[in-house]
Amino acid sequence: MKVLYSWLKDHVDIDLSAEEIAEKLNLSGTAVEGIVKQIDPQVIVAQIKKIEPHPNADRLQVAQVFTGLEELQIVCGAPNIKENQKVPLAQIGTKLEDFEIKRAEIRGVESFGMMCSDRELGLSDDHAGIKILPDDWEVGKSLNEYLTGDSVLEIEITPNRGDCLSHLGVAREISVITGNKLKKPETIEFSAGDNLNLKIENKELYPNYVAIQIENVKIGESPEWLKSRLLAMGAKPINNVVDLTNYIMLDLGQPLHAFDAKKVVGGIIVREARQHESIETLDGVERKLTQKNLVIADHEKPIAIAGVMGGKNSEVDDQTNSIILEAAEFKPSSIRATSKMLNLSTEASYRFERGIDSSLVEYAAKKAASLIQDICGGKVVAIEKITTENEPIAIEVEYEKINNLLGLDLDSSQVDNILLSLGFEKAGKSVLVPSWRNDVSLWQDLTEEVGRIYGFDKIKHLSVETEKLLNNKTYFNKEIIKNLLIEEGLTETINYIFMSEQDIRIAGISSSDLPEVKNPIQKENKYLRNSLIPGLIKNAAKNPAFEPIAIFEIGKVFSEKSETSMLAILVAGKNAKSLIDSIKDKLKLESEITKISEEILGRFKIRKSQVFALELSIDKAIKNMGEPDLGQALEAPVQSFYYKKISKYPPLTRDFAFILPDSVLSSEIEETVFETSDKVLLVEIFDEFSSTNFGQNKKSVAFHVYFQDTKKALDEDEANQLSKNVIDNLTSKFDAKLRD
Amino acid sequence: MTGNLHPISQYLRQTIKIFVDLGFDIFEGPEVDNEWYNFDSLNVPADHPARDVQDTFWLTNGNLLRTQTSNCQVRYAETRKPPIKAIFPGQIYRNEATDFKHETNIFQMEGLFIDKGVKVGHLFGTLKEFFQKIYGDDVEIRFRPSYFPFTEPSFEVDVKYNGKWLELLGCGMVHPKVLENMKIDPEIYSGFAFGLGIDRLVMLKYGIDDIRWLRSGDLRFLKQKQIKGVK
Repeated sequence: MKVLYSWLKDHVDIDLSAEEIAEKLNLSGTAVEGIVKQIDPQVIVAQIKKIEPHPNADRLQVAQVFTGLEELQIVCGAPNIKENQKVPLAQIGTKLEDFEIKRAEIRGVESFGMMCSDRELGLSDDHAGIKILPDDWEVGKSLNEYLTGDSVLEIEITPNRGDCLSHLGVAREISVITGNKLKKPETIEFSAGDNLNLKIENKELYPNYVAIQIENVKIGESPEWLKSRLLAMGAKPINNVVDLTNYIMLDLGQPLHAFDAKKVVGGIIVREARQHESIETLDGVERKLTQKNLVIADHEKPIAIAGVMGGKNSEVDDQTNSIILEAAEFKPSSIRATSKMLNLSTEASYRFERGIDSSLVEYAAKKAASLIQDICGGKVVAIEKITTENEPIAIEVEYEKINNLLGLDLDSSQVDNILLSLGFEKAGKSVLVPSWRNDVSLWQDLTEEVGRIYGFDKIKHLSVETEKLLNNKTYFNKEIIKNLLIEEGLTETINYIFMSEQDIRIAGISSSDLPEVKNPIQKENKYLRNSLIPGLIKNAAKNPAFEPIAIFEIGKVFSEKSETSMLAILVAGKNAKSLIDSIKDKLKLESEITKISEEILGRFKIRKSQVFALELSIDKAIKNMGEPDLGQALEAPVQSFYYKKISKYPPLTRDFAFILPDSVLSSEIEETVFETSDKVLLVEIFDEFSSTNFGQNKKSVAFHVYFQDTKKALDEDEANQLSKNVIDNLTSKFDAKLRD
Repeated sequence: MTGNLHPISQYLRQTIKIFVDLGFDIFEGPEVDNEWYNFDSLNVPADHPARDVQDTFWLTNGNLLRTQTSNCQVRYAETRKPPIKAIFPGQIYRNEATDFKHETNIFQMEGLFIDKGVKVGHLFGTLKEFFQKIYGDDVEIRFRPSYFPFTEPSFEVDVKYNGKWLELLGCGMVHPKVLENMKIDPEIYSGFAFGLGIDRLVMLKYGIDDIRWLRSGDLRFLKQKQIKGVK
């Protein structure tokens, strides 16, 4: 939610900057995610160098304006500018309240920006001329550096704190953390009748309802101050009555709605919708209702979906001269159900779902009515209300338990003072929860309130006993299997547990064997896998440049009734069969090895001579493993991960074999190759052996190198040059010789 | 030829080792679960707005893919007596459109400790120790009050990383209603719980710019490794 810094000051005096307030709010539980200065930083201080009359328009002038970097030509209609003055310049691309500055041609003369008035900057209503800036402001600086312009605070309100979804609510938090008192609301009374013929069918579902009729209102545009506040909140001004209802909601947190009184037949009834009833809402959508939805109706038809959105049939329009203003409280779970069923979430439903302040319903309606009288004219002629008195919740203050949980030693008056500052009232050993705090009902809730206002940063850190409570061997065995497979040269992959229609068609799996997702929002997420192998085949298909491919995954597979942890291995390439055979033997895996058929390989476009896979449950895989060595299980791997940005263009692979002295470490070879060029992505040693054929103390080392270019596809010539560099580097650094 | 352990496994190992050394047990709960363990038992009833925060994959048989490893809390604790001290690593699922920072499959690691006299200070101390082991002794962390239905009080933990506060973890003191669902008396016992999003921490550690690399199966990614002497 957004709040405007200057608007908060309507409710509480603030001596701190927006940034300082944001920091304090953050540490007391109101998360400020960002602060947006109201003036776009692209508005800068600029100096007028020259002014000439516009060749084609008497009222316009053409100015040359210096930005600190260049002179720009600006066409301007305001007569108050003079040469050498400093002015605010909105450069091309600047966003002002509701438009963006673009390069323009004005009566045949090009203009590269706009000089601004106070009003255009959202500073005040003054639109008499361009704002003239003091001489000592530096040309080229952002205007924000000089003007303390207003700030919008972006706040993330957690679902429990519906009371903070308003300026009043945030101001209340500020008053607690700064100690500045909240300003008292004015008393508003009207002398008016109560003959609105209001009926409520079920007071449990709709405990509070206030209706105020105002006659002789004049619908029109809102005054500037109102429009600019709404715009700052991202709300679009519509007309004065609608704008004021929105304004009060943003100010006090109470959603309001205005009906055109002439379109309401017979009086207002708050009731459940009838079966097969429907209503066209203000957004122009016809919505079918059920008995689970609450509506506001007149004696003929529904005129609004309660707490969610008004109806088209009772909308305030230009012809309206009499309105009925509604402020109400509805049961949160009912509004939430309706909003979900209709897939329609509004500012109003969002607040009703989280619970509003019952004690504020009537005041909000009256405050709005009074503003409407002031701004739109008209007179309040009738007020009718149906209200429910709520007993406040009482919680016994468990001072000792609160101190124990927090690890503090506060005396009872410190605890009481914090609670009183938050609006709780003392009642004997208990406190009464304020009407706006629907989230507080337990002593643990009070603990949080005390902690966050006292300051969690003052709490002493403690250590837990390190006595071991360990009994899960499977987990450790799984990690040991991973270690063994990695020693054999396999790489671990993690695949999605989902399969799409296309996946199962290609893999030849029947959908009836797979658990199905009811509500996937992406088509990839339709089914849950019943085997890890299709995922591994997809991985093989994705890596045509690698030879061999040797990968494994440990993860869950699913059936309608159960889920099982599995291990699957896939090896693809020339010696795939012997490789997978040896892995199976070494790990004593009791599993069949499957040859992936030519047909499947064709469908996945895999061009490897042999592809073999095996899959078995983890329970079966660890059966022959015995007691795990816990230390070994959680060891850091020999090869720790590193990330180098990968090109979107395919890599080119080159293989090398060198004869080198035995003393050269393979890591030194890798290092040398890597340092040849930043186009080296991977170095992979796949063969290393000594033989007297190479001479005394010599060995042969063979490796793949994967080259890439992040900006383009590499061509053969470049790859050949890179290969040559690799060879040169190795031969010069070590006593190395390329094998034929 | 040596193969490569997935970066998520590498990070999880480091994390899990820290808690195993502090005496935590490891429990991996089911990934397909029911509404009770994933939501209701954690004080998130059906009409609670907090459910909106998590877009759930529902299965046609009425079960769901867990949206959080917190589904292990009541499941693990209801069959045991305090002291209860365990971590729950595993994959969780969110039904949302994917992009460079959003994924449908992600790893979390939950931690739970329940005993007599467990205080907020134990939670703070344990997490501080964890982040010191991961990021070094001079790591700066702060606890911001926040809200989760299953803890009271609740906190977000921010860690200062390259001069900026980053929100890395949610935690709090186990809510009395959750303790009751574990069949543990909240007037006698208290506890803390925390949840770490592993994928995000992995991305941060290695500077990975797109979360989808982690499940890409692309060997150009999976086979990368730190080479000695190369920066």
